[in-house]
Amino acid sequence: MSNQRQASSASQTPHLSPAELSYLYTSLSLPKSPIRPDGRSPTQFRPLTAESNILPGTNGSARIGFADGTQAIVGVKAEVEKTVLSTDTLASSEVGEGEDSTSTSAAASGHGSWVQMSIEIPGFRDDDALPVFLSEMMRESLVGSVADGGGDGDGDVTMAGGLKGRLVINKRWHWRLYIDVLLLSQPLSYPLPLLSLTTHLALLSTKLPKLKSQGEEDPFFDDDWEVAEYLYPRSSNLKAAGNASQHVRPPVTLLVISVGENVIFDPSREEIAFLPSPLLRDTEAGNLKLLSIRTVDPPSRLTQPAVPNSENVNMLGATAPTEDIAVLNPATGEEEVPGVWRPRRGGVKRSVIANMIKTVLKKGGVGEEVLEGLEGVEVE
Amino acid sequence: MAITILPPVVEDVAPYHSDSDSSMSGADSDSDVEMSGVSRPNKKPRTGNGKISSGIVTPGEIVTADPKWMRGHGTYMNPLSTSIIATVAGKVQQTNKLLSVHPLRARYIPEIGDLVVGRIVEVQSKRWKVDVAAPLLAQLPLSAINLPGGILRRRTSADELQIRTFFSEGDLVVAEVQSVHQDGSASLHTRSLKYGKLRNGVFLAVTGTGGSGASSSSVKGGVGPGSGSGSSAAAASSGTGEESFDHGDKYGHILPPMVVHADGAEAASSTTENVSITRMEEMVSSSIYSSQNDDVPPQTRREIARLTQCVRVLVQGGVRVDEDTLTDSYEASLQVDLEVGDDDEEEEYGQEGREYLEGAKARRILELTMQRK
Repeated sequence: MSNQRQASSASQTPHLSPAELSYLYTSLSLPKSPIRPDGRSPTQFRPLTAESNILPGTNGSARIGFADGTQAIVGVKAEVEKTVLSTDTLASSEVGEGEDSTSTSAAASGHGSWVQMSIEIPGFRDDDALPVFLSEMMRESLVGSVADGGGDGDGDVTMAGGLKGRLVINKRWHWRLYIDVLLLSQPLSYPLPLLSLTTHLALLSTKLPKLKSQGEEDPFFDDDWEVAEYLYPRSSNLKAAGNASQHVRPPVTLLVISVGENVIFDPSREEIAFLPSPLLRDTEAGNLKLLSIRTVDPPSRLTQPAVPNSENVNMLGATAPTEDIAVLNPATGEEEVPGVWRPRRGGVKRSVIANMIKTVLKKGGVGEEVLEGLEGVEVE
Repeated sequence: MAITILPPVVEDVAPYHSDSDSSMSGADSDSDVEMSGVSRPNKKPRTGNGKISSGIVTPGEIVTADPKWMRGHGTYMNPLSTSIIATVAGKVQQTNKLLSVHPLRARYIPEIGDLVVGRIVEVQSKRWKVDVAAPLLAQLPLSAINLPGGILRRRTSADELQIRTFFSEGDLVVAEVQSVHQDGSASLHTRSLKYGKLRNGVFLAVTGTGGSGASSSSVKGGVGPGSGSGSSAAAASSGTGEESFDHGDKYGHILPPMVVHADGAEAASSTTENVSITRMEEMVSSSIYSSQNDDVPPQTRREIARLTQCVRVLVQGGVRVDEDTLTDSYEASLQVDLEVGDDDEEEEYGQEGREYLEGAKARRILELTMQRK
């Protein structure tokens, strides 16, 4: 039971002792200047090595590794597929799936199931909670960026309708995208940010062969790989069109944690292990847009709360009763003794969330830097 | 700069030619082959030429085909042939006529008397199961701990009922190996003032090679000079723990106060306090089972963070972590900070992430550390 819970929230994060949790919490929640166990500043990411186009057999691929040895490889493979009956004559009832009732529009605007994602994490089965959850979460943000991308995507015609729209070849044919994510090492911390960054990079480098046929003909492609087009149009092409900031980039999921009033990015293994309410968020660029925010159950809840010295039966008489008990929350009567770990109750404050969003989205903020950094990786 | 993205490191694929046989042939030499990042196993097929493959061997690789050698740990011999085959990845070691392969990475093999840092993973009715990174969980019987107040008596069912008040799941425990069972699992005890729960710090586990070779390690036990003081001090300021020393000694915890002392910035006053035997009861009761942290000032926290980074830098650089290298790298990190401070071209970046040592600074720290050796 506890194993399962752990697997679904953060894999392989160690059980920490209450004393460690308390130490980390106090360090990280120091007002203004949190002390992270690895000395980074709150918005600093761990340095990573990245390269793309590493797998010759794929349409696009990337590898990202952290200094501690965790690394992920992503391969993107595209296949041409016949669009399953989307004519008006076949009613949705015949297909039987509720989702396909929109199949007419699906032919034009694409369908979410055209993107298939599988994640492989060592030590986990394919159908374990963690890989399934992660892949669905990443796939969702990929295809989900479409729904609202359609509205303001009019700036650039190629990506109208987002990724789903891009996959449409014509009414009868479409691309099917297989995204295979492979974590090469044991998941030392919550693997989602790494996998997401790698997927982002792989998608950026993905090319589809140039279409030669026109209209509703059966698709026919140019043999020349040189003229293949990027799945996500590159900024250089668009710059020529004078539309540099408007192009669509694949979404990225960042892991952000909040400790007290502080907002901390890219938590390391220890940090995530205990953190009160880590938050996940998807950003998508064009004009940096927040797609969704999600919270993850912090593994710190698995650790039992510590017993303050004053209540410790093994220490009776050894310590003077502590005077500095501050009542943290009058409603629950929760008491806070310094140096004693208590799982945090309740959610994150609005102001903290607002601060988080601001840090990511503001001009020159974290989101922009991450996306630009990734784009800077040589894709040729 | 929030994110640094580095180009992939192209590994030097030039085969590593060690000064193969010259260094290996010294009689009774316990020679370690230098492990640098570029070392590669010498992949030439060796068929009966009597040479010992030096450098790093991988499982299945023939170490030598010469029948004059005896096989030691980490090797295997096919009954039909005379060649010695490695069963682990590691360095070839030669002791007189005995060839053994010292693994690069192994689990800790408990030995009686070792000081270990472990994490409680399971609480049973009369004992705890402790993860000490050995192949099997170690056990800590209820009868092998000090009762609060130092009372000596039989453990009753009342003690069994409140077993979690002593140690519960997740707690970090310093203990000593009391005995090793037939199957290699250890039985621990905490019957000393030095042992007990760890607190006031972060814990860092380091992979390495456990066991074998411990004899040549000077840091047997692995506790720094702070350990003479009361257990509260030992636990109190343990910024980092569980170094599985590359050279055998396993699991100890290094106490940063000495390093902090060296820095002169702040001295953890508690380390100097010695406990007389008459005050034993009080000390036992007041600190061993506490899970409440003392007040640690931010400066100390920063130093602890710096130390943990030093350990990580050493590990990533493939340098053995022990007291000396850690002290050296700590000082090196201070020096690097000064060097960087001199530049201060970029004011705004100067502050941001200045304390992060891994990445660009790591190489410089390693360089300096190696110079000091």
